[in-house]
Formats: sequence, C-alpha cells, structure tokens
Amino acid sequence: MMKEASRKLIYPFVLAFVLLFACSPILHADTMTSHDTIVIASEPDYPPYCFIDENGNAAGFAIDLFLAAAKTVDLEVEIRIGIWSKIKQDLAEGKIDALPLVGRTPERKANYDFTLAYMSLHGAVFVRKETQDVLSLEDLKHKSVLVMKGDNAEEFVRREAISKNIVTTNTFEEAFRSLSKGNHDAVITQRIMGINLLKEMKIKNVKALDFNMPEFRQDFCFAVKKGDTELLSRLNEGLSTVIANDSYEKIRYDWFGPDEGGKLSAMDAFLFSLNILIPLIILMAIAMIVILRKEVRKQTHDLKKEIDGHKKTLDSLHKQNLLLNEMEKITSIGGWEYDVKSKRVSWTDGAYPIHGLSKDDYDPADYKSDISFFSQEDQHILDKAFKRALDTGKSYNLELRLKTPAGVEKWVRTIGHAELTHGKVTRLYGNIADISESKTIHDELGSREKQNRLLLNSTAEGIYGIDMNGKCTFCNAAALNILGYEKENDVIGKNMHDLIHHSHHDGSPFPRESCKIFLAFKEGKETHSDEEVLWRANGTLFHAEYFSHPIVEKDIVRGAVVTFWDISERKMAREELLILKDSLETQVIQRTAELQKKIQTLDKSQKAMLYMIEDLNEITAELKKKRRELEAANRELEAFTYSVSHDLRAPLRAIAGFSNFIYEDYAEKLDDEGKRLLDVIRNNVLKMDRLILDMLNLSRISRTDMRMAETDMKAIIESLLLDVVSPEIKKQFTVKVGDLPKAVSDVNLIKQVWQNLIENAFKYSSRSEKKAIEIGSEQTEDELIYYIKDHGAGFDPAYAHKLFGVFQRLHREEDFEGTGIGLAIVQRIVHRHSGRVWAEGKEGKGACFYFSLPRKTGIINME
Amino acid sequence: MKETNEVEILIVEDNPNDAEMALRALKKNNLTNNVLVVNDGADALDFFFGRGKYENIKNNIRPKVVLLDLKLPKVDGLEVLREIKSNERTKMIPVVVLTSSKEESDMVESYKLGVNSYIVKPVDFDKFVDAVRDLGMYWLLLNELP
Repeated sequence: MMKEASRKLIYPFVLAFVLLFACSPILHADTMTSHDTIVIASEPDYPPYCFIDENGNAAGFAIDLFLAAAKTVDLEVEIRIGIWSKIKQDLAEGKIDALPLVGRTPERKANYDFTLAYMSLHGAVFVRKETQDVLSLEDLKHKSVLVMKGDNAEEFVRREAISKNIVTTNTFEEAFRSLSKGNHDAVITQRIMGINLLKEMKIKNVKALDFNMPEFRQDFCFAVKKGDTELLSRLNEGLSTVIANDSYEKIRYDWFGPDEGGKLSAMDAFLFSLNILIPLIILMAIAMIVILRKEVRKQTHDLKKEIDGHKKTLDSLHKQNLLLNEMEKITSIGGWEYDVKSKRVSWTDGAYPIHGLSKDDYDPADYKSDISFFSQEDQHILDKAFKRALDTGKSYNLELRLKTPAGVEKWVRTIGHAELTHGKVTRLYGNIADISESKTIHDELGSREKQNRLLLNSTAEGIYGIDMNGKCTFCNAAALNILGYEKENDVIGKNMHDLIHHSHHDGSPFPRESCKIFLAFKEGKETHSDEEVLWRANGTLFHAEYFSHPIVEKDIVRGAVVTFWDISERKMAREELLILKDSLETQVIQRTAELQKKIQTLDKSQKAMLYMIEDLNEITAELKKKRRELEAANRELEAFTYSVSHDLRAPLRAIAGFSNFIYEDYAEKLDDEGKRLLDVIRNNVLKMDRLILDMLNLSRISRTDMRMAETDMKAIIESLLLDVVSPEIKKQFTVKVGDLPKAVSDVNLIKQVWQNLIENAFKYSSRSEKKAIEIGSEQTEDELIYYIKDHGAGFDPAYAHKLFGVFQRLHREEDFEGTGIGLAIVQRIVHRHSGRVWAEGKEGKGACFYFSLPRKTGIINME
Repeated sequence: MKETNEVEILIVEDNPNDAEMALRALKKNNLTNNVLVVNDGADALDFFFGRGKYENIKNNIRPKVVLLDLKLPKVDGLEVLREIKSNERTKMIPVVVLTSSKEESDMVESYKLGVNSYIVKPVDFDKFVDAVRDLGMYWLLLNELP
C-alpha cells in the first residue's frame, strides 16, 4: 500500500516539477527580500500530513516539508492551528501568509496561488464494513454522503454531483464518528489520511473501498494568497531545493518509513529504480542545473551592477558638464586654466563668448594672445597680477576692460588662483566673467543716488536714516538746518537718539528703550509722534512731528528713515486753541448748569401741574359722583312730587268739595256762623292747594331741561302786563318799560321770573299812594342786568338776605297774601341761567329787584 | 247699575269721593243719564272689551265720553287709554283724562296716546263743576260722532 502511495506521490509531482522549471521564468533574486517571518496555519486532523501531536503542536509530513523548504530560503515560520474551513478563509483574507497542505482544485485557483505540487493523493470512499451495496461511485447517488466542509472532497462531490444527500461536518473526525455510529452511509476523503485517522480514532467498523476515483485525484501544494507572487517564488525555490538535496526523501522516510525495500523482488527493484530512482536522478540533475543557473545568474547580476555603477558615474559627469556649460551661458562666466609645465592655457566653453570668440576658430593656448583682448593699460595690470601669481601663488581679482574682435567693449572680472604642489606653483586657474551689465547698473545707481540726494536735500522736512544700532547713515540738508548742524559729518555715524532725542521737553531723560523712532525697526512698522521734542546742536529744543519708517530689505529690517519737522508754531497755536476751548468749556458748563436749573424748575412746575391735574381728576370724579347722587335725588324728588300732586290734592279736593256739599245741601239749616266756618275751611283748603302747586312748580323748575333761545324781554313783559294784571288795577298804575335788550335764555322760565316780579310789584304797591312801576335794564361788560322798581311796601334791608328763601315772608299774610315761594322760584331760575339776583329797598319806600344774565350764555348752570 | 248698553258717560275713578263729586257735578249740569262708574283700570278694560262681568255687553254700544283718572289700581289710566286708542272699535270713543296730576310727562304721554281732553281736577269744587259742565256740554251735546 505504501509503495503504491509513494509511487503515486512522486510521479505527478516530478512531471509537474519538470514542466514548471522548463517553462517558468527566471526568478529575480533581488525581489526576495521581505517575508522573513511568515505565518502559516495547519489543520488539526489530516494525519499524517497535518495534525496535532501529543504536545499540542502542529506536526505532519506537510508541516515538516514546509519548514524545510522555508529554511532553505531563510524564512522563519510561525504555525497556527485551525479547522480547515477557517484557515482556508484566513489565507484568502490575508490573515495568514501560506498553507502547507492544499489540494489544487479549479475552485481554489480563484483565491490562491499554488506552488508546484509535492505529492498527489487519491481519494477513497469509506463505508461501514457491513455495507455491501456500494461498488462504485454511482451507488452513492442515493446514499447519505459525509464530507468535511470546504474540503476537496466537498468540492468534488458537489462538482460531480455524486449524491443527492451531501452532509458536511467541520472535521473529518466528526465525519468518521458519524459514519461509524451509522448516522450516514459514506465518507469521502483522501485515502491515506482517512486510514490514518481511523487508526488514530480506533474506529474499527469503517473501511475504505478499493475502487479508484480518477476525478478525485488530488495534487497537494503549498498555497499563498492570490497574487502573492513573491512568497510563491520563494516557496517554490525552497521546495525544489529540498527535493533536490534529499531533504524531501528524508522527511518522507521519517513519516512513511522505508518502502519495504527488503521485501522487494528484483523486478520490483527494477521497477522501483525505473519508477523512482531514475526520475529522482533526473530530478536531482535538474535541481543541480537550477542551482548552477542561480549561481550564474547571481554573477551576471553582480557584473551588471558594476557596469551600471560606471555608467551612472559617466552619466552624472556628463550631466555636470552640461550643467556647467548651461550655467556659463546664463551667467556669462568662463573658466580658464594655465598649466605651468606646458605653458598652455585652456578655456571652458563659457570663456569664448566673453571674448567674442568661437571655440572652433580660436585656440587659447597662448597666454600672450589671450591677454591681447584687454585694453592696453589693463593688459599691463593683468600681466603683472598673473606673473605675481605665478611667482608667489597669490590670487588676484580684477575688473578690466576687454574689447572683442568685433569691437564690442566689455567690462570683465577675472579671478586667478594658484595651485601649489610641494610649495611650487604648478597650475593657475580661475574664471572670467562679463560684468558689463552690473557695471552699467552700478553707474546708473550712482546717478540715481545723486538724484535721490538732490531730492533729499530739496525737501523742507528733515530726513535722516539710521541703522539697526540707531546710528545715522545719512541725513539731508533740511535736517542739518533744522537741527542746527553745519556738516553732514557732524551727525553721520552718531547715535541719533543720544544726539537729538535724549531728553523730554522738561529735561527729564528719554531712555532709548521707549523711543518710538527705534520702535519702527524693532516692530517693523511705521511710527509717528507729534508730542515730543528734538534738541538742536546749540542745546535748545523744539516741538517736532516725525514719522519713522522701517527700511526693509528681503523681509529683514535694516534700519529706519526718519522724517521730521518743526511744529513749535503749530503747537503754540494749538495751545491757544486749547485755552480758548477750556474757557468755552467752562462757559458751556455754566450754561448747562443754568439750563439744568431751569429744567429742574420746569420739572417742578410740571410736577405741580401733574398734581393739579390729578386733583382736577379727583374733583371731576367727585363731581361726577355728586352728579349721579343728585340725579338719584332728583328722581326721588320727582316721584315725591308726583305723589304729592296726586295724593295730597285728592283729600284737599274732598274737603273742599264736601264742605261745599254741606253748604249747598244744608244751607237752610246753617246759621251765618256755620257758613263762616265752612268758608274758613274752604279758604284754607284752597291756600294749601296753592302752596302745593307752588312747591311743585319750584321743584319742576329745578328738574326741567333748559331750552335756550333768543328771548325778547320787551315782548314778554308787554304780554304779561296784559295777562297778569287786570285792566282796572293797571289803570291805577304808571308803568314805564324802558329799553330791554334781548337775551339768550329759556323763554318759559324767564317768563315766570318776570311774572313773579311783576305780580309782586303790583301786589306790594296796592296799598301805596304812589303807584308807579319802572322796568328797565343796565349793561356791563359781561352781564345784562334787568330790574323792576316799585314804590310799594318795600322791605327792611336787614332782612334782604331772607327775601329769596323758600316760604320766607317779610310781610304778614293779612297785608299781602302769598305763599313765600315766588322769589325763591325767581332766584332758582336766574341761578340756572348763571345769573345773579338781588334787591334794594327800604321799608315803606318801595323796592327794586334786579337780576342779571351773563352775556355769554354758553355756560349753563346745572344746579 | 245702569244697563251697560245704555251707558253714555263712563267714569273710571278709584277714589269714591272724587267719583261722588264727579257725579254731583254732572248732576248739577243735568248730565246724569246713563252714567257708569268703574273703580279700576282692569274693570274699565273689561267693560270696553266685553270681558268678565261685562261679557254680555253689545259690541257696538259705545259711551259718549269716558272720564279717566290716571292713578288707578291694577291697570293705570295711561294703559287703559293706550288699549282704547289702539283698538279699531274703541279708538273713536272720546276719552277725557280727569286727574289731579299736573305733571307734564303725564299730559304729554296722554296726548301722544290720543286723549281727547286733559283736565286737572280743581280743588275748588265750583271750578270742578264748571269744568265738568264744559266737557259735558261739549262731548255729550255738541260733539257729533261719525
């Protein structure tokens, strides 16, 4: 069995190997530099190729082979252990670098690259020993077939659709255990591994079937991640080396033992030598060839490297030369060399165009010829310097005039150095540069400086420059003039702060550190001041304004330019202005204070006003309240008077009426005294009725709304004189009605006033001898005054105030009848018109009653 | 009580003294035929609209004049006046307000409602008699109703 296995192991492998090397590209040694340590992973259960030994370490033929191969190409190997499906995945994802035992299948080529195959194994179908009905693969069609997940076998059974019932397990052990227990019908896996594993697991009831499965022949290789060609190359190299130098055979022997050589027949030996040894010899020869080729390759490589080095040096020299030429062209510089021994001069390319010469037309070897291009006197200078350099080794550096054959005059700078060997000059060398342009620039600069100087000196402002130490570098005429110096040299080179800016105007020292002028270049920005003083040469001071502007060259501050001028006059004017301003401010403050006082007073007045308004509001509110109360009282009064007029008069009527009935119905039974008594009753009833009516009248006057209209007083009086007084009485009187102006009043009410007054006048004159009544008017600025004067009973002036009171009578009822309400009504009406009412009179001498109406009757007294 | 359908003068008066005086004044002027006195406004309205105890009254019988006091129990005089004057059938009946009140508001309101005459009862009986005579003469003898 083992022999068979070995044979099978070697054949395809050798074939593949020969093929590989016959057509594989030459591997480059210099790419094999990395991967000093790689990580591989081993399955735990693929004995004897990959498994875990008693110590828990990965072991097996594949592992040993991998380690040996890795060692030959200087790879350290770290081995992890994991189940197949997991480690397979790890390699695909790059978590590990290689796997030692991977069967090459079409499916796997997508994810991995494979080394040459080192062995080839066949698969087998494992069944329980009692199984009789499986004689070929076809018989598995309806059997339950176990394979390890991700194993070649799984790929195979699925690819070939061996069974309709394929079951996967995580390990082979699991698969065999399951088969042994009778859960499934068959396990397909690699034959040798399977037999080994069964042995290890001590499973006795499972056997491998003998028939072959050509489709499940597996070539085993090392695998790397797809695309990791570098590691693949190294592993291939290692593997071929191991096979070539017997290590492979040794490992194989260790794992699989001798090929039972002693028991071999001659034929077998022959066959063995034919099958094994010859290919092995061929193999070894090939390996030797490989090693030799590798050596040749290495040597060739070294040589090539050396040649490359030389090439590079040449290249860079050439490049430098090109660069030099280019540089000479750009900078108009040329080099020269004089060899003392040969007395020959040589030039670089750049030297020719400076002389206006072409390299092809001129040979600079002759020194005499070379210096002839310089002007006469400069030839002399150069010659002298050249000779001295030759004699003493002293270098020279000269600016000289040169004329080209074409007649172009140039300024050139020529520099010469001597090379000494053992104290003797052996060589002179140097360069020559066209400096015409910079010379011109220099000249231009000179004239520009002159212009600048002119400009500087023609300005009125003092201008000076200082360096970083504060020392004067230049100054203009104005500056000298303002500061009182005569010559530039009095200030140039001196520290300007110490010279003109050393003290404040009060004589206190002005330290440099706080000087704003220096600040300009300390901080690199312009500073300005018009509050400081500068000191003249004679020790006097003046107020100055200055700007200090930093001089910046290529971002570095080199110093400062200071511009200044005398502002003493301006300062004085400003001070005067300040004084003026101060006095103005005082005035403003004074005025402001006065104004504030006024504002305060106003504020007070305003407050007072506000208080007044508040008071007024209160009063108004009070008045409103009062008015509401009054209105309520009025309504009460109305109700009262209504009931008075009704209810009080009804009994009166009854008394009067029924006493009348007595009078009428019982007249014959009544004597005169009886009749008189009835009369008394009747008269009193009538009087009471009058009183009631008058009272109602009075109350009505207060209650009724006033209807103001133009009132013709004269017309009222004339109609009243007709209505109120009977013609007989009127005949007895002289009635004189004077001019009466029209007024604005409530006609009905004013009519009542006049009626009462006229009635009174007639009434109280009835007993007098002189029966004369005068009605007239007076006018003042704001009042119309009306009066009615009689010559009747008059009144005692002491009681004048009682005249207008309700029920107030100054005469006895017997003398002049009346209710004592008439004048009260008069007063009430006049007051409602906002007028006044008063009376003059003497007892027995008549009376005069006045009432007035305001001219402006817009205001109506609501009382 | 007179036959209601013969009533020529209706006195609406709650004060019996006043009613008596009114009757006496009418009598003095020989105007006592067919006078009816009712004591409150409700009675007066019952009379006019044939309600209550006046259910049998003929609708077309109308007094020649109504003497109406304003201050009445139950329904006051102004209300009675409004009812009479707002009814098509009764609005033609002459109504004389005979009252103690001289209040302007009462007078104005009465005329607004269509009163035919407004007389303030004089306390002096003679004057009262005069007044009754005058109105009796006018409304009973002179006035022609359509």
